[in-house]
Amino acid sequence: MAKVLVCGWDTQADGLAPGVEETLTLGRKLAAALGAELGLVVLGSAPPDAARVAGRHGASTLETLADPKLAAGGSDARVEALAQLCQAHAPRALLMPQTFDARLVAPRVAGRLGVPIVMNGIDVDVENGALRVTATAYGGDTHALYEIAGDGTALVCVSTTALRAEPAPEPRTPVVEEFPVDLRTVTERIRVLEPAKTEGPRLEEANTIVAGGRGLGAAEHFAWIEQLAEALGGMAGASRPLVDDGWVDASRQVGLTGRITRPALYIAVGISGASQHMAGCSAAKTIVAINRDADAAIFRHARYGIVGDCHEILPELIRAARAHRAGGS
Amino acid sequence: MRIVVCVKEVLDPDAVNSFAVAGRLTIGEDGTSLTQSAIPRLMNGYDEQALEAALRLRDAGASGTIAVVSIGADPANILRHAAALGADEITHVAADPADRADRAGLDGHATAALLVAWIRSTGGADLVLCGRQASDDDQGVVPALIGEQLGVPVVTIARALALEAGGDAVRVTRVTPDGDEVVLAPLPAVVTISSELGTPRYPTAARKLQARRAKPAVVTLDALGVAAAAGAPRVRLLRQWVPALHGHCELLAGAPAEAADALVARLIQDGAI
Repeated sequence: MAKVLVCGWDTQADGLAPGVEETLTLGRKLAAALGAELGLVVLGSAPPDAARVAGRHGASTLETLADPKLAAGGSDARVEALAQLCQAHAPRALLMPQTFDARLVAPRVAGRLGVPIVMNGIDVDVENGALRVTATAYGGDTHALYEIAGDGTALVCVSTTALRAEPAPEPRTPVVEEFPVDLRTVTERIRVLEPAKTEGPRLEEANTIVAGGRGLGAAEHFAWIEQLAEALGGMAGASRPLVDDGWVDASRQVGLTGRITRPALYIAVGISGASQHMAGCSAAKTIVAINRDADAAIFRHARYGIVGDCHEILPELIRAARAHRAGGS
Repeated sequence: MRIVVCVKEVLDPDAVNSFAVAGRLTIGEDGTSLTQSAIPRLMNGYDEQALEAALRLRDAGASGTIAVVSIGADPANILRHAAALGADEITHVAADPADRADRAGLDGHATAALLVAWIRSTGGADLVLCGRQASDDDQGVVPALIGEQLGVPVVTIARALALEAGGDAVRVTRVTPDGDEVVLAPLPAVVTISSELGTPRYPTAARKLQARRAKPAVVTLDALGVAAAAGAPRVRLLRQWVPALHGHCELLAGAPAEAADALVARLIQDGAI
């Protein structure tokens, strides 16, 4: 039986990484269209709930690829492991959430195997037996429909921010097995001299984000963004121009080439709402826009909006938020 | 040391976005291409930063050649821009999709195959620099495909790089979601450059003038012996469209204090704060 595989890594201590379930939802759709079996693959040891998650999304298999070299996180080991997996199973499609690491690993696997790949996928389908992938382009300003020729393996990296995970109508109990990966010949060519150090909490995990853009007018006004974020118990973010201009550190950048966030509340101040920015926050449950320009695109994404001068509105908003926090208003 | 920088001509993404925001972005009759003739064509911004990275290596003392290569219908303008910025060689690998009966573009594999064939035909490269992705299709797969086809390591999303003293390795600072990571990759290698590298330099007026006469070397597919790469693409763009956006924004009016209180009240009511 033909196979559709969904692969996840970056497993967190408390479960599968964000994006795996949304990717499983797309994988299930594709498997149904192909009359194929859905399987979940986890690089490294699977978290305890992996089998339950796989089953909830209709996967019939859960395969783990356990090798100490994979645990180290180097891309040479991951590429070789996934290449071996694809050669052994010849899946019709291998889908993975488009994490920072997947952006490198997936195209390398495609290059090693000489198989087609599409990044930024948001939908998959089958037409006359051919795989079709809808992906974002121009930072989200357009959507593009790609057709993949042939019936060999295709790789799809899924941009999961705007997708919703939907469990299968009928859960299954997946067969759990270990894929015998052989990484004896792999020696990582790239040596990490200084690992990345997460300094404090990450925007990706923030429940509330207050983000500032060019409309703030001057670097020192970013202090208001930080004060409002603090008053709401959230984190401060920024659009790319502020990072490019050196007002704030790159770790604050929300957007297509920055942080892909999904907070409960996203307050965008002085941000026009360019697609490139929205790619990093459109999954927020509630978006609030504060902008001087009533025609700014951000208002089309927002649930609530205030049209006006952020220099006048921010101090009032900080006051109101602090009052709420103190148990007032 | 031979540094190859791969560059692509794209529609100005800021102009595309302005049209999109104004609701005036439209797709042509072919169903795939953007129609606005007012949108300027320029060098992909990340590729320009890749060239800037090469120039900074030279400023830091690297000797040798910076060769800039592009595939496309007519990349002469962006190649002349590269020459004005300081590229020693500019090359156009002529694989114009307009010459093909089906007008289908090259997919990532074909693009990488052409670039690899050209790199090999010129005696190889010690370092291949690319932008992290092109701002038109945002795919960003070609650098990794080049790395796999050449059998060399690939380092992505760099904000800074420096050659090691022996010249046999490159030290790269990557922008990761967990902060900066510094890695050492043996050469030859492929490195992709991200916007965090910083603003690229501008060409001087004199160099600009000089570069106007620069003619890119044109290399044909026959000369590269990779006619197969021009075969039917396996990833083919069927359609492109502008997604509809349905807003349901409630605007909170009044004086700043009033609007702020109304907003906080709504957010409390929704359980958002």
